[in-house]
Amino acid sequence: MKYLLITTTFILCFLISGVNAAESEKILIQNATVITASDSQILENTDILIDSGLIVGIGSNLVANDAIKIDASNQIITPGLIAPYSQLGLMEIQLERETRDDSTQHYSAGFSIVNAFNPSSTLIPYNRSGGITSAIVGPSSAKSIYSGMASVFKLDSKLVTDFVAKDIAMAVSFGAGSDSRASQILMLEDTFNKALRYNDSREQYRLLADFDYDDHTVRDLEAILRVLNNEIPLIVRSNRAKDLLRIISLGKKYGIKIIFHGAKEAWRIAEIIAEAGIPVILDPMDNLPSSFDAIAARMDNAYLLNKAGVKILITSQDTHNSYLSRQGAGNAVAHGLPQNEAIKALTANVAEVFGLSDELGTIEEGKVADLVIWDGNPLEVSSFATAVFIDGKQVSLVSRSTRLRDRYLQKLGLTKQPLIEN
Amino acid sequence: MKINKKFPYLLIVSCLCILIINCSKTDSELEPQNQAYLSTYKPDTSETILIRNARVLTGSGDELDNASILMENNKITAIGEIPLDTDAKVIDVKGKWITPGIIDIHSHMGVYPAPGLRSNSDGNEATNPVTPHVWAEHSVWTHDPQFTLALKGGITTFHVLPGSANLIGGRGVTLKNVRSVTVQGMKFPGAPYTLKMACGENPKRVYGNRNQEPSTQMANVAGYRQAWIDAQDYMKKAEESRKTPKRDLAMETLSGVLKGEILIQNHCYRGEEMAIMLDIAKEFNYKVTAFHHAIEAYKVADLLADQGVCAAMWADWWGFKHEAFDMVWENVAMVDQAENGTGCAIVHSDSAIGTQHLNQEAAKARAAGNRVGMNISRARAIQWITLNPAKALGISDQVGSLEVGKMADLVIWDGDPFSVFSKAEKVFIDGHLKYDAENDHAYERTDFDLGIIDPEESRL
Repeated sequence: MKYLLITTTFILCFLISGVNAAESEKILIQNATVITASDSQILENTDILIDSGLIVGIGSNLVANDAIKIDASNQIITPGLIAPYSQLGLMEIQLERETRDDSTQHYSAGFSIVNAFNPSSTLIPYNRSGGITSAIVGPSSAKSIYSGMASVFKLDSKLVTDFVAKDIAMAVSFGAGSDSRASQILMLEDTFNKALRYNDSREQYRLLADFDYDDHTVRDLEAILRVLNNEIPLIVRSNRAKDLLRIISLGKKYGIKIIFHGAKEAWRIAEIIAEAGIPVILDPMDNLPSSFDAIAARMDNAYLLNKAGVKILITSQDTHNSYLSRQGAGNAVAHGLPQNEAIKALTANVAEVFGLSDELGTIEEGKVADLVIWDGNPLEVSSFATAVFIDGKQVSLVSRSTRLRDRYLQKLGLTKQPLIEN
Repeated sequence: MKINKKFPYLLIVSCLCILIINCSKTDSELEPQNQAYLSTYKPDTSETILIRNARVLTGSGDELDNASILMENNKITAIGEIPLDTDAKVIDVKGKWITPGIIDIHSHMGVYPAPGLRSNSDGNEATNPVTPHVWAEHSVWTHDPQFTLALKGGITTFHVLPGSANLIGGRGVTLKNVRSVTVQGMKFPGAPYTLKMACGENPKRVYGNRNQEPSTQMANVAGYRQAWIDAQDYMKKAEESRKTPKRDLAMETLSGVLKGEILIQNHCYRGEEMAIMLDIAKEFNYKVTAFHHAIEAYKVADLLADQGVCAAMWADWWGFKHEAFDMVWENVAMVDQAENGTGCAIVHSDSAIGTQHLNQEAAKARAAGNRVGMNISRARAIQWITLNPAKALGISDQVGSLEVGKMADLVIWDGDPFSVFSKAEKVFIDGHLKYDAENDHAYERTDFDLGIIDPEESRL
């Protein structure tokens, strides 16, 4: 059997990476099909000019003599995908406790993961090669109803750069567990009320209990106050339709911003969620009635929510394969969701809901140049990213996984030359 | 069959048994204990259906354009160019793709059903690391709503295994994706039994945490070897004994493997572990039919191809355990292409979500291979979820490809089956239309689905 040494895609990849893009401030991507994820939707035969990390021009036949030029004919460009909620950078191997920093036994609401993020995690280049350029990173579900706070990171593997935004949302879980869901609602209300009382007499509480206040530290109460003051949204992981309704009521009572996560039965109350203006983070493929909280799970949840006017954010449930949100989005399209809405659910909607849309989420002039060039429809499972840009710089698509692949392709005699040195 | 207690006769009987086994016993010839639990699945005679204008991935390695398929009496009776038969019901699919029914080689549907409850978590007899006496079929809850979800994804046959807590976890069972109150009514007629074995982290974690053996890889291996020593000893004693030995369920299963009647399905992630398992098979003279979850199969792809061992792999799942850390997207393709394309690659998901989209998992694996310069056709890649799992389950004479005489299990897709945007439009099992996307409410639901949300409605 004869093997082509390298596919066309690979040649293109090689040529692009052969250019030392990192050295230059200006990059001109030419002749691409651009899915902007903004109002302008899809632009054919379009050039994108990047300068100093920003998108400075979008149009046809752009001229920039001093720019590095990349021909993206027959390719598609999207904004970099944003993982809406994952443990990227907090977890290496799921079952090995010492490789995980995504939960705590000491804090609850105020647990910030920001100091645990590991930019050298193998998951980061791997998911970057799948088209993810930034991620909302948050703690896993905890014993407490509160998981803690989420922050935003770029997937550029840089040691020196830090978070994009810190503690931008708080996560809780609500539903079936060892304690009644009624008790969980009471606990949310009680902690909200405690936080408000604490706010009324901060100094007194600080003196009384610098660390511990009825199982909630001052740090936890301060964090809850940020939710109650509408500074940050509360991400509620919950599935049962009636539970979602209860959370909507609670949100109204305290005047807080809610984001649903999971929400497998959300389609049953799609209009109410739309009216309440609550965005939903979901995995469209998760249609199993896996518990009595999710009996009404179904494949067209994403489609039905979007149709009712709910802003949806598409996630993969598996942090290691965060980039498979693309496959979820593709499946949502197969079940009725319009393609452009699916792309927005991976990009623009995520940026908007987490307050990042001044810089991220769409391809528009003035935005940060986080871009992905794809060799086919980005929602198709057989498409690959051929180039990824973060902050206007082309980043490597090599991962530990591609290194292993190349080593064994050669050992098995399935390629005549190493694709990269190994 | 009554076994004569006199020694010379016993020898003759044993020889006879072997002869009978080799020419495959009919039900009435089986020993009483083996007459129980037989498949009772007998489909009604199906109407004659002629499908026309199809793009067919045959599963036997071909892609046919403008082809017809004739189904009658539950079987495929013609494929290719077929003259219009006036007696047949004609379905003109207008160029749509048809594949064999998809076969999921690694499922825990029924033994780990949805919803997941303590009361139906029946997949792991995690009380002893060696439990060859347990049979997965005795755990199957036949009303698992995951069955119908899988049907909508084109799954017509699936293999239910015990979990991987144990070194030797028990017998697996191959089921047709048909609704039946009894598991016997789902059992694939004539499918051989399988035996689940598990390498690596799971057994040593489960028992090591209890300060029991095995807690290390080396104790895992000692555990397998001891079990086979016991089985050999049992067989020798049974042969030499003048008395009918007391029945031993564990030994019946293990000796079934050593006699070549029961197929080993071995959960095994790492390259070095697979090589050791193959040496154990050599030591005790049995065959490993397939490694499952073979994340590192690509590291030993030539060895697997040389020894004719299949590998069932994920397209991309990884990182949940250390033994799942070295995943590459090209694993399936590398196993398939090893040793001049003689490898036996199977795509699995081990997930009741993944099984609904096994075609997409195969599509990802194919695309990954082709991106590094392989030239894997659809016709080849479809075998990863049809003919190859059928071979590894010992049922390829009946399913896995669209060939004359095989069961009429097939899927009509509404687009390219290697696209994320395509769905199964019609699913036929034994010539009967079991799912039709155009009439989504018409398929047979499980008991669980009835009235569970709204008493007057079905679940979906």
